[in-house]
Amino acid sequence: MRLLRHRTVVFLLVVAALAAGWETYTTLAAPRRLAPELAAALAREPRVNVTVRLGFAPEEFHIRLFQGYGVVRGVQGTTVLLDRVRAEDVGRLARYYWVRMIALQ
Amino acid sequence: MWAAAAALLPLPDYYLPPPTAVIAAFVELVAKGILPAYVGESLRRILLAAVFGLLVGVPIGVLLGMSRRVADFFHPILNFFQSVSGVAWLPLMLVWFGFGERTILIAVNYTVLFPVIFNALLGVRSVPPLYVNALRTLGAGRWRIVTDVVVPGALPSIATGLRLGLAYGWRALIAAEMLVGAHGLGFMIFNAQNFHLTARIMLGMGIIGTLWLLLDYFLLRPLEEATIARWGLVQR
Amino acid sequence: MSSLARTLRGAAPFAALLAAWTLVTRAGLVSPLFLPPPSDVLRVAWEQALDGSLWINLAASLGRVLLGIVVSVPLAVALGVVVGLNRRLAPVVEPIVGFFNALSGIAWLPLAITWFGLGWASVTFIMFNTIFFLVFFNTLVGVRTVPRIFEQAVRTMGGSRRHVILQVLIPGAMPSIVTGLRLAIGFGWRALIAAEMIATSTGLGFLIYNAANFHQSDTILVGIITIGLLWLLTDRLLLQPLERRTIERWGLVSNAP
Repeated sequence: MRLLRHRTVVFLLVVAALAAGWETYTTLAAPRRLAPELAAALAREPRVNVTVRLGFAPEEFHIRLFQGYGVVRGVQGTTVLLDRVRAEDVGRLARYYWVRMIALQ
Repeated sequence: MWAAAAALLPLPDYYLPPPTAVIAAFVELVAKGILPAYVGESLRRILLAAVFGLLVGVPIGVLLGMSRRVADFFHPILNFFQSVSGVAWLPLMLVWFGFGERTILIAVNYTVLFPVIFNALLGVRSVPPLYVNALRTLGAGRWRIVTDVVVPGALPSIATGLRLGLAYGWRALIAAEMLVGAHGLGFMIFNAQNFHLTARIMLGMGIIGTLWLLLDYFLLRPLEEATIARWGLVQR
Repeated sequence: MSSLARTLRGAAPFAALLAAWTLVTRAGLVSPLFLPPPSDVLRVAWEQALDGSLWINLAASLGRVLLGIVVSVPLAVALGVVVGLNRRLAPVVEPIVGFFNALSGIAWLPLAITWFGLGWASVTFIMFNTIFFLVFFNTLVGVRTVPRIFEQAVRTMGGSRRHVILQVLIPGAMPSIVTGLRLAIGFGWRALIAAEMIATSTGLGFLIYNAANFHQSDTILVGIITIGLLWLLTDRLLLQPLERRTIERWGLVSNAP
């Protein structure tokens, strides 16, 4: 049991706990970021055009990230216009904690 | 002291940003999700290299170390390849695989691998033949000798090899990320330099140093000390 | 065993490697663009030796390493001893130096470029940095961990403070210092190559990175082999004799390979 108090074990346990807690939080918080009409649109079509609103002006990092999920049509202030996003990718986008709201274009 | 220097010296902010700017950069980058992503990338890569180094390096090193003649034969070559770090191989890797994640992983895995092989080999060679012979006279088969005596005896050396390999590997990773540019902390600080975001550079540097210290203090050094304490046969 | 025999023994594995390399390329297993045969590499090496470009780059890299060593090491050892002796200063300084030690090397490059621009100044700064902190840290730790009993023994025999320093602390710290030196030069070389790739236009690092842009695998291999050989030479001619003379002379156990 002395092993459990060794700094390595404590460190790893803390890291694991934090990681698990964070994953839970993002998974639970994600649906709230989706606009209600989005769910209906996703049921109808395989790909949707969305607006992704952030809390800040997107940087190169974010644009490149979005390009992995769809076609970046443009940026308006703190909002990115993203075309042809698949349903499951919309969910993935919503899990990023720095995304404020995803809505239909 | 730093804050005083930043305030007093007549230098533009991008030359020596005050500590408050660095803290602000930290908050900003976390809020934007950039920092966690880059930190995660770098950590993922170094952990992959650690796993690879252990899984591949230890068996090879032990195997090569089992025979004195084989070990002596490979000693200079391993030494040579260990000293040509992964970063030196990067240009060749760029020709072979282009700019991408794979190139970075290959370079870093290589860097971690050789110290592990080398030290595993040395560890095996440092097991006193007395122990091996004792087990043999008791009728133990070759496999049992390996698992009961050779590998435990080599563990302190292997732990040292892993620590050294990761020390080289972490730095090689940062360098590779600067050169190849597929995200990561190295890319972050290099990119920040292009935009004169010096606060971000300093932040990145601080995180790079801190991450290594955390890794070393909580994982690598305890591992090394534990193996020495438990299986250490040779005085270091 | 005679020295010649030992050298041949050392060279044998490389000969085997060379043979394997020739075989693989001659058998056409890999495209010459990926792995050029040794004859190509030798040809390029010869050309570069003749037109001087090899020597320029080699001298640039080696010069930076030597400059880094010559400037940083004495300073680092001196500071390490001075701080290590001061019992109040040492515990404060040690973690700070340890942190900068962990940070050493290529991570400083973007900052160095901001301060000094591209070119040899940034690269040399990185060298100083890397070597200095490593040797400083190891000297500091080495001096601090010399058992007090030795110091007290010399004092009881009537030795002055200078005696204590010269005859107890420095020899006692030697293994740590020499290990630090070895590590420092190792890390220093690596940081140098990486820095040369990014920030300057002479040196072996630049040579191989530039060659990659033109897909000149043979030039790259020339560079890589040169780097490896230089390190082996430094290690064999400089560090191992140093280790032998200091550590074995004072009868202390040496570290690792």
